[in-house]
Amino acid sequence: MSYNGSGTFQINTSGQPVVAGTVISSTAFNALTADLATGLSTAITKDGQTTTTARIPFAAGINSSLTTDSSSTSTGSIITAGGVGIAKALYVGTNANVAGTLAVTGVATFSAAPIYSSLTASSAVATDASKNLVSVTNTGTGNNVLATSPTLVTPILGTPASGSLVNCTDINYTGFKNRLINSAMVIDQRNAGAASANTINGYFLDRWFVTQSTTGKLIAQQNAGAVTPPTGFSNYLGITSQSAYSVTSTDLFLIFQAVEGFNSSDFSFGTASASTVTLSFWVRSSLTGNFGASIKNAAADRSYPFSYTILAANTWEQKSVTIAGDTSGTWIGATNGIGLYLSFSLGSGSTRLGTANTWASANYDAPTGSTSVVGTNGATFYITGVQLEKGSTATSFDYRPIGTELALCQRYFCKTFPIGTAPGNDVTIAGAFRGTAVTINALSQIEPAGTWKFPVSMRATPGTITLYAPGTSGHTAGQWTNDGNAGSSANARTNFAGTESTSFDNTGVLVAAGFRPIIHATADAEL
Amino acid sequence: MITYKLSNNNVYVEKFIDGIPTGEWCNSETNEAYLKWLAEGNTPLPADES
Repeated sequence: MSYNGSGTFQINTSGQPVVAGTVISSTAFNALTADLATGLSTAITKDGQTTTTARIPFAAGINSSLTTDSSSTSTGSIITAGGVGIAKALYVGTNANVAGTLAVTGVATFSAAPIYSSLTASSAVATDASKNLVSVTNTGTGNNVLATSPTLVTPILGTPASGSLVNCTDINYTGFKNRLINSAMVIDQRNAGAASANTINGYFLDRWFVTQSTTGKLIAQQNAGAVTPPTGFSNYLGITSQSAYSVTSTDLFLIFQAVEGFNSSDFSFGTASASTVTLSFWVRSSLTGNFGASIKNAAADRSYPFSYTILAANTWEQKSVTIAGDTSGTWIGATNGIGLYLSFSLGSGSTRLGTANTWASANYDAPTGSTSVVGTNGATFYITGVQLEKGSTATSFDYRPIGTELALCQRYFCKTFPIGTAPGNDVTIAGAFRGTAVTINALSQIEPAGTWKFPVSMRATPGTITLYAPGTSGHTAGQWTNDGNAGSSANARTNFAGTESTSFDNTGVLVAAGFRPIIHATADAEL
Repeated sequence: MITYKLSNNNVYVEKFIDGIPTGEWCNSETNEAYLKWLAEGNTPLPADES
């Protein structure tokens, strides 16, 4: 070796050093040059021909005259296939590019705002509002939006347990999400809160039909039993069983609402694009167990029976059921006919019960095994807040202004009576329609006549127009009276009815001159 | 017993129960109860002369 292990080159070949008069033999000379060659070959060459075989200690660091920024692992002043270990501070004068992961075990201090193309947190990050930090949690998916005024592109909000929107503008409110009308059971034009007879078999609260195949088994009343409605509601439809009746195979006891085709055609039932719908409602019964309901088409040859469970007696419970839309059968589209029926069974015979949670080509009221309310004397069944909406999630109840709700009801049933007065003969003259005594022939004979403009356009020309005698007593049904309680000698008659109005006159019987006729009426264009 | 009487100037028929007018006028083209009554073989009373 020409080096002594400490970096000192030693001339130690034989015959060295030479002295004056020594003949330099070829052996000595060649040994010297070989020794020098070995020493020079061991040194680092400045042009990069030599690869060092050990770590090279630099007492005062490395200087490079290169000024080009490093842009890859093969450019720049220092290139290494292995890692770079730095025991002291690292200072980067311009940009530091990290192609892999930058792991910081100490504190990362940013004197300027960092910019992330994406950000992933392995656990929740604390919020520090004073430093404009945003909390990152692992409760959802997707990237965080940190801009002050972000534009959210198709965000999915999921189903927050709670939340509020304050001072928001440009919200496209999806009005009429609830396809049912009077589903908070507020409007009762026909009864004004009075209980039904036990023969009830027709529309009761507005838009809600109560039917019983064997009469005498139930009564209906708005707010029957005077229990406190669920929070957010003031009314409910109450049913009380009048006996312990065992239903026969074909019996039916139902509460149902027929939804007009114009209001349900976008469900696209009967097509491959049928929408999923969700029903939600509040229910309370003196009975517990599995109860039944169903959705049907107009012809009642397609039905989807489903059950819900009342867990505790005499306790309001909210239920929701999601139903995949029917892709078969005949469903009325955007017409004024029956788009669908939603019915709640209070007791149905075996021929009207089917398999739960599947569409059937049959008229099923409920799943097999459903509880019969009419089977227990005195049993109660109360319901309110019924919402049928598009989609697979039950959303908050669609509260509508009372004027809007009433107008929606009046499309199907309206009356001249005050809203809080049930129609009847000799009930009141308030609100009565004033006719005109018209001369009808050359004999100057006089007959009452007039035209009643309905409060809203009705669904169709009313199927039934019922006339009532205004007054206090002594009149027959539909008799013209005057404000002195005198009556015409014959009944009023409707004619020329349409969706906007109907006309009245008398059934061919005249009245005395000076008679100032009044009449009450209801118009029924229900489905 | 339910009976109906024709009107002489429009499509509505008057409903009677045991011969007593009820005040109900049923659309003879759309009223389901009236149509069912007709389908059972019943015939409405003729209209009054006016």
